[in-house]
Amino acid sequence: MRVDLLPTEGGGSYRFVILLLATCGILISSLPVIVVTIMSFSAADNTGFPPEALSLLWYSEVIALFTSEDANSAQSVVGSTVTSLLVAVIVMAISTGVCIPLAYVLARGDRRIRGGMELLFTLPLVFPLVILGIAFLLVAESLRLELGIWRIVIPHVALVLPFVLRNCLSAMSGISIELEEAAVSLGASPLRAIWDVVIPLMKAGILAGLIFALIISFNEFTITFFMYTVDVSTLPIWMYSRTASSLDPSTLALSVFIIVADVVLIVLVDKLIAGRASLF
Amino acid sequence: MSLQLTKPKALAYSLPALIAILPFLGACLYIFRFSISGEQSRIDGFSIQPYVDLMTPFFGRSVWLTLRLAFIATVLAMLMAVPLAFLLISLRSAFARRTLTIVILLPLILNLLVQAYGWILLLGPSGVLNSTLRSFGIIERPIFLLFNETGVLLGLVQTSLPLAVFPIVSAVRGISREHLEAASSLGASHWRIFFDVTVPLLRPGLFGAASIVFAFNASAFAIPLLLGGRRVQMMGIAIRDMISPLFNWSGAAAAGMILIFVTMFVMLFAAWLTRLASEKVERQNAR
Repeated sequence: MRVDLLPTEGGGSYRFVILLLATCGILISSLPVIVVTIMSFSAADNTGFPPEALSLLWYSEVIALFTSEDANSAQSVVGSTVTSLLVAVIVMAISTGVCIPLAYVLARGDRRIRGGMELLFTLPLVFPLVILGIAFLLVAESLRLELGIWRIVIPHVALVLPFVLRNCLSAMSGISIELEEAAVSLGASPLRAIWDVVIPLMKAGILAGLIFALIISFNEFTITFFMYTVDVSTLPIWMYSRTASSLDPSTLALSVFIIVADVVLIVLVDKLIAGRASLF
Repeated sequence: MSLQLTKPKALAYSLPALIAILPFLGACLYIFRFSISGEQSRIDGFSIQPYVDLMTPFFGRSVWLTLRLAFIATVLAMLMAVPLAFLLISLRSAFARRTLTIVILLPLILNLLVQAYGWILLLGPSGVLNSTLRSFGIIERPIFLLFNETGVLLGLVQTSLPLAVFPIVSAVRGISREHLEAASSLGASHWRIFFDVTVPLLRPGLFGAASIVFAFNASAFAIPLLLGGRRVQMMGIAIRDMISPLFNWSGAAAAGMILIFVTMFVMLFAAWLTRLASEKVERQNAR
């Protein structure tokens, strides 16, 4: 007899309660995103629900936002989007660049050191974000550091390191040392063996790490909220400044772009690490 | 063979990563040092005054509110996470599984502003819920669900749900079906199996997931800021207010340390419970 956690037939009240609670969970997770998406197609300029007519009005408004004259100051939507992307790209490059060699050493080296290092690099994950934001702010302000865009890059790198390292490590785990030895015995230098044999084999894990870094850095709000300045500010901060006044539908259209981008990126990561590791 | 990892080579390979994490470690130490500073706005001398100054009814209320909201949100999240994990595991089609995974995962990753917009549209005075209820004539004046504890609670449950679901999924995968089948063949009802077999077997995973969710919720900042409208003074918000209008940096650092201690204490307590529970499970399995 087959027994399941969720009976497919029968099960009476048990099945009903489980499915009811699961539905609540799905609704709580997805309703805000769904409503934002629906409202972004509204033709009216208020946020009454349901929208009386549908239009792409707010999407053209977003395009206008991006192409209008005063779009070039640092606090404009263009400026903050550019900063967001620039930060994300630098964070991706740095975090992946430092994690690949570390993952190599940890996979080949002493088990005990590996455990300790993995623990060290999980710390940013469990540390409260708001404290991290304040800590970085205190350092930058009381030491009067002129950091420019690095004000935001440095904390973001710390934030994404756990995810990138985990992906690189799981990519390394399947690569046996014999492959490198074969390359070296054929005359390659040890560095060349890593570059031409190990790195290509790690590709999926490295890509997953890169995408994780991009998603986290691009969507990060809390730390950036403490670290942004008039000159260096990101898209989430710009969106926050818009909510403070009133919710206008063009930000909803912009939100839909972000939702689509995030969903596409998550699907990509999910494909890349399919079956090898869980997302968290 | 030159492929041997020599010490200098290992060090050279790990050095960049260590440099990258150094600012984080430095910032952690810095905030601790600031919390025992004798001056409010710079590090000078040692004093426990910042901690003593926090012993006010205002900060006490903030701590209590934080613990209460985080606890309720954790219970609610766990209530939905267990059924979601069951559903996720029982889904046969890979596409449905993947879609559900993304639906659950999205709130944790997506820009919090977008989600806050969503809640404002849903629950605001002229939002979906209020206009629906009004059109059915159930209410006359809008009910206020935002910018108070209800709104914050909903946001906390939503963003922390993925942190609960995924550990529970891996815990459920670890349950051997034989236990369930044995109970079922002895005639136990579904509820009976759930409470007498499944939950006890899952207990280590449940404690682990709950502690992560609680720590995440207790240190929430963006959700109370966006959905609480500053009226819900959770610790994150209280700490920010010490910095921004008040410039009491050492006080903010001390409050931050207290927040870290609280979350660490809860996580250690949960780890202890987990160990007890998993020892019990092992004993039952051995029997």
